[in-house]
Amino acid sequence: MIPGDFQPQKPTGTQLAKLGVLGVVLLGVFIGIVLVLTFVISSWLGRPVIFGHDGPDQPIEFPHETHVEELGMDCTFCHRTVEKEAAASVPAAGLCMTCHSAVGDDLEGITKMRSLYEDGRSIHWVRVHRVPDHVHFVHEAHIRYFSEKDGVEAKDVCATCHGDVASMDKVQQNRDLKMGDCVSCHKQNNAPTDCVTCHY
Amino acid sequence: MALTRRQFLTLMGGSAGAAVLFQACGLPEQELLIDSPPAMPEDLVSGIDNWYATTNQQGGSSEGIVVRVMEGRAKKVEGNPNHPLNLGGHSALSEAALQGLYHPDRISAPQVRTGPRGSGEYREISWEDAIARLSLRLGELDSSNENNKAVFVSNPTGGHSGLVLEKFTDSLGSRHLSYEALETNVLRTALKAVFGTDSIPEFDIDNADLVLSFGADFLSSWVSPTRYARGYGEFRQGNEHRGRLIHVDSRFSMTAANADQWVHVNPGTEGLLAMSIMQVLSSSHSNAVFGDLDADGVLDSYSPANVANEVGVSVDTINQIAEDFSHSEHPIALGGGSAGAHTNGTQNLKAIYSLNHVASNLGKKGGVLLNPRSPIDGVGAAPPSNSFSEFHRLAEEMKAGNISVLMVKDADLYYGMTDTVDMKVALDSVPLIVSFGGMMDDTTSVADLILPQHHFLEDWGTDVPLAGPGYQMIGFQQPVVRPFFEHRGSNLGTKGFADILMATAQVMGKDLGLDGETFKEVIKNDAERLYELDRGGIVANSFEGFWNGVLQRGGWWDTSYKIDNVPEVNRLDGVASPEFGGLEQEFYIQPFISTLGDGSAASLPWLQAMPDAISTATWQTWVEINHKVAEKKGISEGDVLEIRPANGRTIKALAMPNPAVPPDTIGIPIGQGHRDGGRYSAGRGANILSVLDSKLDSENGSLAWAATRANVTTTGEWIRVPKFENTVPEFPRDEHQDIIQITSGDNH
Amino acid sequence: MVDSNKWGMVVDIDRCTGCQGCVVACQSENNIPINLEEHFNQRRAIQWIRIERYWEGEYPDVKARFIPIMCQHCGSAPCEPVCPVYATYHNNEGLNVQVYNRCIGTRFCANGCPYHVRFFNFWEPEWPESLKNQLNPDVTVRSRGIMEKCSFCVQRIQRSTRESERDNEVLEDGDRGLNPACVNACASNSLIFGNFNDPDSTVSKMKEDAMQEGGRGYRLMENLGTDTNVIYLRKVDEFVVEAPHG
Repeated sequence: MIPGDFQPQKPTGTQLAKLGVLGVVLLGVFIGIVLVLTFVISSWLGRPVIFGHDGPDQPIEFPHETHVEELGMDCTFCHRTVEKEAAASVPAAGLCMTCHSAVGDDLEGITKMRSLYEDGRSIHWVRVHRVPDHVHFVHEAHIRYFSEKDGVEAKDVCATCHGDVASMDKVQQNRDLKMGDCVSCHKQNNAPTDCVTCHY
Repeated sequence: MALTRRQFLTLMGGSAGAAVLFQACGLPEQELLIDSPPAMPEDLVSGIDNWYATTNQQGGSSEGIVVRVMEGRAKKVEGNPNHPLNLGGHSALSEAALQGLYHPDRISAPQVRTGPRGSGEYREISWEDAIARLSLRLGELDSSNENNKAVFVSNPTGGHSGLVLEKFTDSLGSRHLSYEALETNVLRTALKAVFGTDSIPEFDIDNADLVLSFGADFLSSWVSPTRYARGYGEFRQGNEHRGRLIHVDSRFSMTAANADQWVHVNPGTEGLLAMSIMQVLSSSHSNAVFGDLDADGVLDSYSPANVANEVGVSVDTINQIAEDFSHSEHPIALGGGSAGAHTNGTQNLKAIYSLNHVASNLGKKGGVLLNPRSPIDGVGAAPPSNSFSEFHRLAEEMKAGNISVLMVKDADLYYGMTDTVDMKVALDSVPLIVSFGGMMDDTTSVADLILPQHHFLEDWGTDVPLAGPGYQMIGFQQPVVRPFFEHRGSNLGTKGFADILMATAQVMGKDLGLDGETFKEVIKNDAERLYELDRGGIVANSFEGFWNGVLQRGGWWDTSYKIDNVPEVNRLDGVASPEFGGLEQEFYIQPFISTLGDGSAASLPWLQAMPDAISTATWQTWVEINHKVAEKKGISEGDVLEIRPANGRTIKALAMPNPAVPPDTIGIPIGQGHRDGGRYSAGRGANILSVLDSKLDSENGSLAWAATRANVTTTGEWIRVPKFENTVPEFPRDEHQDIIQITSGDNH
Repeated sequence: MVDSNKWGMVVDIDRCTGCQGCVVACQSENNIPINLEEHFNQRRAIQWIRIERYWEGEYPDVKARFIPIMCQHCGSAPCEPVCPVYATYHNNEGLNVQVYNRCIGTRFCANGCPYHVRFFNFWEPEWPESLKNQLNPDVTVRSRGIMEKCSFCVQRIQRSTRESERDNEVLEDGDRGLNPACVNACASNSLIFGNFNDPDSTVSKMKEDAMQEGGRGYRLMENLGTDTNVIYLRKVDEFVVEAPHG
């Protein structure tokens, strides 16, 4: 060993320990950040709704605008069980055919619908509003409450959550329909906030 | 798959990469699709559940059920609260019917065998082809006048299915045999002799104050357990005075466990005990009935002192039972199960049922009510099954090459017949075996042609119960869901059993003489005859209204149509002592029905996983053995035992010692040991029926299935017994906080 | 009808035959995974309601006693305060509720429960594709790592109360749509379900009758002070010969 040569001092045990602790803490903070970020991102992506864009493409472009706004049909004409049951339900193609066996001959969507109907095949609509499996949402109770409270017909209640579907070309989600949304509305209306109201 | 918080944490915990993480985000495609079918029936709306009534005739007992159907799928079975037989309750067997409907191993189209027999190699063919193949062979036999070379073996089938089956075999001139692994023939012979009735009477357990049962495990498996359990509830706590149950049995069954008094007798001596009870009553009480009943004076030789030793109970006990029986206001005596499964089985049961004449409880509240005939002529309850000896003869005929076509429906001969008959050789000698099985079973697995029938939840039918409610009734069975394999088109998939027969007859140019083109029409036309009777509970202005009423209620019944006249008292015969195979063997084998029926329900996982009432064992074949005997032999729970009857055949099963088994007896559940039958039962456990001696009932040639004795040896292997016991810790049973509290008197 | 409901059950063990019908009915209604052989071998089978069998004596003087045990929906439940995430709590209808989406699977509640009626999902539940057709859409399928237990078939309570409100009908005592699956399945009527807050309900009357001096009523492990919503009625046996032992 040459005297005067720079020799890094051997770290003492305490220093090593401190360094170790620092490393662990930093690593912990890093993992924590990653955890939190991933959690936030995943909960955003895994959220119950498709949000923030135009709404999904449907196999057949069903113009709500034409049917509701122009022709003045009620929501409940097609979504028949909304006043009675949990699900609002999408009608069978047979219901479309009650009119479209005669009208709308040269439109592309209608031709497609007719051919599916004649082949006995289903139309696979893409779901726009969805809550997770552990949430049991009941349309009927909500329609009943709001139509009694505001003294309006069932069809006028839909927009509370679904927005003005009547003027939508392509249906898109309007509210985020996450638990915070549900709970705040339940609180405003003195509806039960017992977990088992929705989760069972 | 949506990433849940939990999955997320798991992923992080396992330090899985972000790639996995983000792949898991988002929703699976099918969750985002909503079906809009071309047409929906009025009653098929998403989110709405409907309950449809139908009848479950599986496993021999009929039960009215309602099925919850949502969006075309059956979700839940419950008892039909209107149905006279079960009034709302239902058995696990009915519940598990859903798993039969959606069983992953159901046969989805007609099959023809391509590989060697038993290889399981089949090719799918169309219905047209399948029916053509069957009718071709039957036609050949027809034109060469060898019709008797075709044999149809089915489970005992009543109602309209039975009618179509009978017409089908009649028009072909072929033979029809009904097969049950555990025959009810002994019971039916005895009931015919004692009450002069072809059906099983109603036992009004609800209103009885003493039930004296011999060998009949009526709360668990005998005849109509759901109904009897309902009656039992009322019998215990529904009336002012709590009823008493005395159960005479050589095994500690579930009914024995519920009895106030379990009287253990030596196997096969139940009839001797019944005779002895009557002897006590005839000598100590003046009862005019004995003038007719014991006109031949046979009772004298059955005094308690004479038989106590052979029966294995004390003289005092016999006297006590006789006292209890005579002091009761509404006693009922019933017997069956192992009491009828001995060489003297019919005699046993005749003696037992004669006790009801002594009690003169026929046609009375809390007694025995005979069942009237079916409301529709020609459509009756299931005919008596053919006896073991008849099937033994059939097997010999097969071996001799005298059977060319064997048609099988819900009758698993290959599983249920003991190996002494050598069914394998017999079946191998039949050129064409046709099975109507909707699922594989042992016999179907060697079939050449499989014509899969609908599950009963997809098919029409009627049911005239063999054990009716004491008044006239007929249950209706309707399809509650569309056939599961409907998507395979009309030339594949499954078809209703009766419709298959009708189609075959049509191809062969035979006229079955049925009133209707389809099975549904036949039933509906006969329902019109019911409507014309203009009685019963359904009042309607038109036939259509009536028909809807029948389907909604699950059947038609007339509570006022009963049998009023009391049958003549029979004349008592003597009861012989039982005989056993292999007297030098150490143990009596007591086969018993646990959760799988006679084995036909073994494919259903809920029933496989349902704990046996006594042992809580599941999924396996176990041997109930006395815990002290086991200790002496160095046997502990889970030891693989070999059961060796004198006939040289053996099976292996797991030891399950318990304190209630009589020391000279081993109990083995029936139902496992299937060669084939789907993923949940194939190759699982052992089949006790296969090693039984072919001892026969002395009067009607039925199999005496409790008359085999066996030695038990350990094999040195050990397998953990899958049982529910100890899944959760046992509760303490100390004096103050006993989990099961018992009171000695009924102070309710 | 009363303002608030307090759901509860009366179990008459003198009627119970031990037939296990309730057990299978519960499996079917509540999407409980199929208990395979290995699940029993690992002592991890799930049964929200179970029949326990206890021996007394030995051959020839032997008795087997059956008792159905399900979540007792305790008024002061030992499982509730130990949950770090409030996944189990008592609601104002007397139910002890398990919120699956809150549960993180600490299993503290299972340790706390003296009745051992809480079961943990050690695996992701699996069904063959075709058997999934039977699953009840009203009940969440629990994934791996979640605690589950008897809910008194809360989905039926929710559905039938909602439907009675919709149709302006009074929910009748003993309504089969309201009854849990086990109650409807029970052939011997050992299980009775109803509203303890309604003085005219069958369960209230039975409870009053049973809990008076000399009545047959008792609660499981009453000394723990759990204040259960399930009342048991004693077995009657005039031939009790010896002190029971485990």
